[in-house]
Amino acid sequence: MGLDQGPWLMPLAISIVKFMVLFVVLLQLPPILIWLERRAPALMQRRRGPNRVGLFKWRLWGLLQTLADAIKLIFKEESVPASAHKLLFQLAPVLGLIPALLVMASIPLGPDLLIAGQRISLNIVRLNIGFLFILAISSIAVYSVTLSGWASNNKFALLGSMRASAQMISYEISLGLSLVPMVLIYGSFDLYDIVNGQVQLWAWGIFLAPLSFVLFLICMFAETNRAPFDLAEGESELVAGFHVEFGSTKFALFYLSEYINMFALSLLCAIFFFGGWQIPFVSHEQLQQLLASQNLASLCGLAVLLIKAAFFMWLYIWVRWTIPRFRYDQLMTLGWKFMLPLGLVNVMVTALVLTTRF
Amino acid sequence: METLAIFYTLAALVILCSLMVITLRNAVTSAVFLIADLFLLAALYAQMGADFIAGIQVLVYAGAIVVLFLFVIMLLNYTPGHREEQGEGGHLERAFGAGLLALVAGLSVVLACSSKFSLVLPHAFPFADSGDNTYQLGVALFEKYLWPFELSSLLILLAIVASIFIAKKKPPYEGKRQ
Repeated sequence: MGLDQGPWLMPLAISIVKFMVLFVVLLQLPPILIWLERRAPALMQRRRGPNRVGLFKWRLWGLLQTLADAIKLIFKEESVPASAHKLLFQLAPVLGLIPALLVMASIPLGPDLLIAGQRISLNIVRLNIGFLFILAISSIAVYSVTLSGWASNNKFALLGSMRASAQMISYEISLGLSLVPMVLIYGSFDLYDIVNGQVQLWAWGIFLAPLSFVLFLICMFAETNRAPFDLAEGESELVAGFHVEFGSTKFALFYLSEYINMFALSLLCAIFFFGGWQIPFVSHEQLQQLLASQNLASLCGLAVLLIKAAFFMWLYIWVRWTIPRFRYDQLMTLGWKFMLPLGLVNVMVTALVLTTRF
Repeated sequence: METLAIFYTLAALVILCSLMVITLRNAVTSAVFLIADLFLLAALYAQMGADFIAGIQVLVYAGAIVVLFLFVIMLLNYTPGHREEQGEGGHLERAFGAGLLALVAGLSVVLACSSKFSLVLPHAFPFADSGDNTYQLGVALFEKYLWPFELSSLLILLAIVASIFIAKKKPPYEGKRQ
């Protein structure tokens, strides 16, 4: 079979290459973030944090500490509790990683590249239900938490997983509702259309729908089970929550999917509310003329989007070491009695304003 | 040709998963296969060109409803082996079950063979050929079928109110602390 057999072979090959690049890049995410997550609080609390592990005489601010941690985790013994449900225990960490990667696959990272006459988009699949697909797939991620707690056959794990999954399904609704006004304003489910609607600075989501942004930001933290909503792993009461019994690579997989989810939500926040890869006052076409190259302009867009997302990643860590953990009833009250009605009102008001304006 | 191959593969997987749901002894593994089942159904919808419905199928059924099933199963702490103690039902029940299954299977075959239901499914969804079928679906729901749509939402509201009423705690008896 030749290389040009059929029109689907080349796109398939491009998709596979893109996915491999994305996966390798995503694998580098947790080590750097864990390093940041240990060094940043050290900075805030006026202590040093892990700063020893380096290369020969260079300490590199302890950057290689997490590499050492990763090697330790991978070479640890895989243990499965005797009373655990064997199949589901193995399946649960994988079930967490798959939705995280699928969500990443559908998020556009920048304007198209042009390589050897081929137009290459900076995402893996472009769906006309983009935003809905992301919501649907991230709702599958609950099963990883639920099943890992049940399969461990440990009461702390079960309690942690119950808390986490109840929290995730409650805040999922508010998350979806907070993004509905954006779909109404930009008139599309497609993330490309949403970014292209934000060329002007005043058309950025945060200016058009500030309440949506606040709701989304709160849901962002709740959906990833991060502080101040990290009741799932409240170490003083639940040991570590749903992943108590997991060790070695399986534990690392939980970490990997948590950080990929955080990254995906940060990207979505930048795309929905901060103009995605748009630079204020400079449109993509102007940038193309300025740099005299489409690829360079697209890479600029990619860098801008990553910088915007990096800010939200930093916010995750910042908030974790600033705000204390909520109590469980406070969390549920906030989710159901405050966020949900506010989200509904937000959708109604946005729809009313849009219909009366046109 | 390729679409047909994909359709039959998906259909076979749906049937396999459904069989696993009803034959497995462990309720939690049954629920896991139910998730796979609903997910594959969404894939079937997507293959028919009904992207929006596929998304909603995953969001609502696979993503939310089965979580509640799992919650109930976990909270009731059902253990396999419980059923053997209760006995599996007599011949009459089994015959009834088999008869019902045969009836459903026969009906499906008859429906599938009648000309109204095409076996080539990609065109079963009326808006499949238009590019933006979310928009088309919205127009259909809010213009042509507005009243049925609104009435069904009223029905759901009714069910919610009724379930809250049933689940509501009885007010504590005055003067006596329980």
